[in-house]
Amino acid sequence: MKFLPLVWAGLWRRPVRSILTALCITIAFVLLGLLEGVNAGFAHAIAEARREFLITNTRVRGGAPMPISAMGKIQSLPGVKEVAPRAYFIGTYRDPGIRSSVVAIATQPDVFFRQLPNVRVDPAGLEALHKDREGMLVTRGLLDQWGWKVGQTITIHGATPKTDGSPDWTFHIVGIFDTPQAAGPAYFGVINYAYFDEYRVENRGTAEIFYVRIADPNQAVAMSAAIDHIFANSPHESRTRSRQARAEQQARQMGDVEFFTHAIIGAVLFTLAFLTGNTLRQALQDRAHEFAVLGAVGYSGGRILSLAYAEALLLYLPPALFGLLIARLLAPLAAEQEIGSILVSPGVAAAGLMCAACLALVGIAIPAAKLVRTPIATTLGKG
Amino acid sequence: MNLASQTAALITTGLRHIPQRLGSSLVIVVGIAGVVAVLIPVLAMYVGFGNTIRGDGRPDRAIVLSHEATTEYDSGLSRDSVAVIMDAAGVRHDAHGDPLVSAEVVLAAPVARKRDHTDVNVTLRGVSGQYFAMRPELKLVAGRMFTPGNQQLMVGAAARSQFEGLEIGDQVRLQDGDWKVVGVFAGAPGARGSRESELIADARTVMSAYKLDSFNSMTVELDSAAALPRFEQALAGDARLFVSTRGEPEYLASSSRSVNRMLHLVAYVIGTIMALGALFAALNSMYSAVAARAVETATLRAMGFAASAVAIALLAEALLLALAGAAVGVAISYAAVDGATISTLGGALFDSQLVYSLRVSPGLVVIAIALAATLGLSGGLLPAIRAARGSIAATLHEK
Repeated sequence: MKFLPLVWAGLWRRPVRSILTALCITIAFVLLGLLEGVNAGFAHAIAEARREFLITNTRVRGGAPMPISAMGKIQSLPGVKEVAPRAYFIGTYRDPGIRSSVVAIATQPDVFFRQLPNVRVDPAGLEALHKDREGMLVTRGLLDQWGWKVGQTITIHGATPKTDGSPDWTFHIVGIFDTPQAAGPAYFGVINYAYFDEYRVENRGTAEIFYVRIADPNQAVAMSAAIDHIFANSPHESRTRSRQARAEQQARQMGDVEFFTHAIIGAVLFTLAFLTGNTLRQALQDRAHEFAVLGAVGYSGGRILSLAYAEALLLYLPPALFGLLIARLLAPLAAEQEIGSILVSPGVAAAGLMCAACLALVGIAIPAAKLVRTPIATTLGKG
Repeated sequence: MNLASQTAALITTGLRHIPQRLGSSLVIVVGIAGVVAVLIPVLAMYVGFGNTIRGDGRPDRAIVLSHEATTEYDSGLSRDSVAVIMDAAGVRHDAHGDPLVSAEVVLAAPVARKRDHTDVNVTLRGVSGQYFAMRPELKLVAGRMFTPGNQQLMVGAAARSQFEGLEIGDQVRLQDGDWKVVGVFAGAPGARGSRESELIADARTVMSAYKLDSFNSMTVELDSAAALPRFEQALAGDARLFVSTRGEPEYLASSSRSVNRMLHLVAYVIGTIMALGALFAALNSMYSAVAARAVETATLRAMGFAASAVAIALLAEALLLALAGAAVGVAISYAAVDGATISTLGGALFDSQLVYSLRVSPGLVVIAIALAATLGLSGGLLPAIRAARGSIAATLHEK
């Protein structure tokens, strides 16, 4: 039995109509792929963010930094693996002024780099920073900006003076680190909190952020609450969140992206269902006579129906797949335009193809049922 | 019959037969309604966002930031700089001889968005006493002004409508404890600016609570818009300052450029893709209209109807169906989004919210109609040519 050639020939009976319908489907699925890709991009960023890493901020941004004494209390909570403080060191190199500013994160470097798995740090450099209190690891961007070399000693004019009254801070460049996933080059250094805090005059014994790592990622919410409880009813109220919760919140702050994209996809699919449903109906109507002949020569009703269904799927699925492929090719342009990441993942493609199959089957079901119900003699008589 | 009356007769017949080919005629209507119903809300967001940002700008106000800062939040101005700028040439003075200036700090206040209870930030702006004198467009609509020295806030009407806990008498937890909401201010009706999305407090009270020793920005009212270059030069020539000066409209346009560009791009990408889809749908629909009426058309032409009349009538039909689609699309988007108020990123800080309204304005309706007409005519053109060109004898013979 020549099933597929028959289906194929059916589609090409009216080439203009089939091609135009296929183009409509392709375009609808380009849009569907891109919009679902936006959602998938956010979901991916959220899923990638780790739950065992918590960040404790002051509840009010710009609020007074938290006392370092809290670190011991956080550390002693059951389930906490490690804690590190973070403070900012800001200064200028050589000339005063914004152009020559240098920023470094003062922290406990090993804990800090463990929190940021996307940052690549040379283990030897990390070890050197651990041994050298006055050490500094810098990004390649910062190293190149000033023409520094690993091993060099630099003096930075700090925004906060040292306890000896001098604003000049000495650091040894002990290594570099890379931020391969960042959008552009990064310009900052990492220094030892212990060295910075011992010599700074302002805000001594405080941290702007605590980095916390917990043993059980499933306890992230409860652990966050336990940490915030330490600071409750003090002048230093905190807000602790896992990296995943932060990523989720950032996505939601943009506005209701998911609602927006789904509303558009809904409108597109509705329109498409109408447009293509009409094509399918016409295609069957045109060929009622032919199907009746098939019936007369002994094709069962089910077989004729399966011809109609196969034709609908053949009309839908290849253009939908093609549209999703185009969306996948277009997706990187969004990152170039700094819109965000659009991820036309296999999951998005699978969902898209499911949609296409549903539209095809629903669109063909009604006219096909009508076709089968009509007696062969009636149809042939009309012809 | 002349061409005009032939065409008119054909159009009437064509329209009368629409119920018989309802499905394929509706394809154009639904296709274009879909494009319009998606495009208008997206464009309404773009327009609403832009208008709200620009709503604050007056050319006779200028904003001073530290040198090379492009936004308020990455700018810092010392108290000394503020004192110098206040006395610069070009600054307007009020009836008491005081300069109309406001040195400001911008901070983030955490609040919950009413619609989805998401934690978001609104801009907390510490301002000086002349703030409302410089911004006559902002009016106190409920409660009273804050009292400097007390931890009191005034909230913008737009912020109050979108976020929880911003009613008069509510306490907002910020640095140094609770800050009480004492008043509500709003812009002119229908001309909501971005300031309405903010909380306002006394700058010095905020600075002492947050232990800040510098301002972020300074806004000054100029003698006139023409005084901007003079003011700018005065600051540039002063050795005590290292600042950059911009007219308020220019600053607002540049600070919102990235979000604006994104909305613009999204609107046009989605619009273009959907328009292309609708074009194919219209072509499909008109081709099937031509096919369904092949015999009828051939008969009419055999009777002496001009080929051009046939083509024009078909184009007119496509146009009318497209316009009907535009009307449906406008109606849907009007019902769905007109008057809706939303909040997204776009406030004065990189992560603070901007509240704005969506309007299906006449301008957007015109865009929708123009788009629909273009799509209808392009979708009708090739089928119309086919109808006019078809061989009469062959068509009649086939049947």
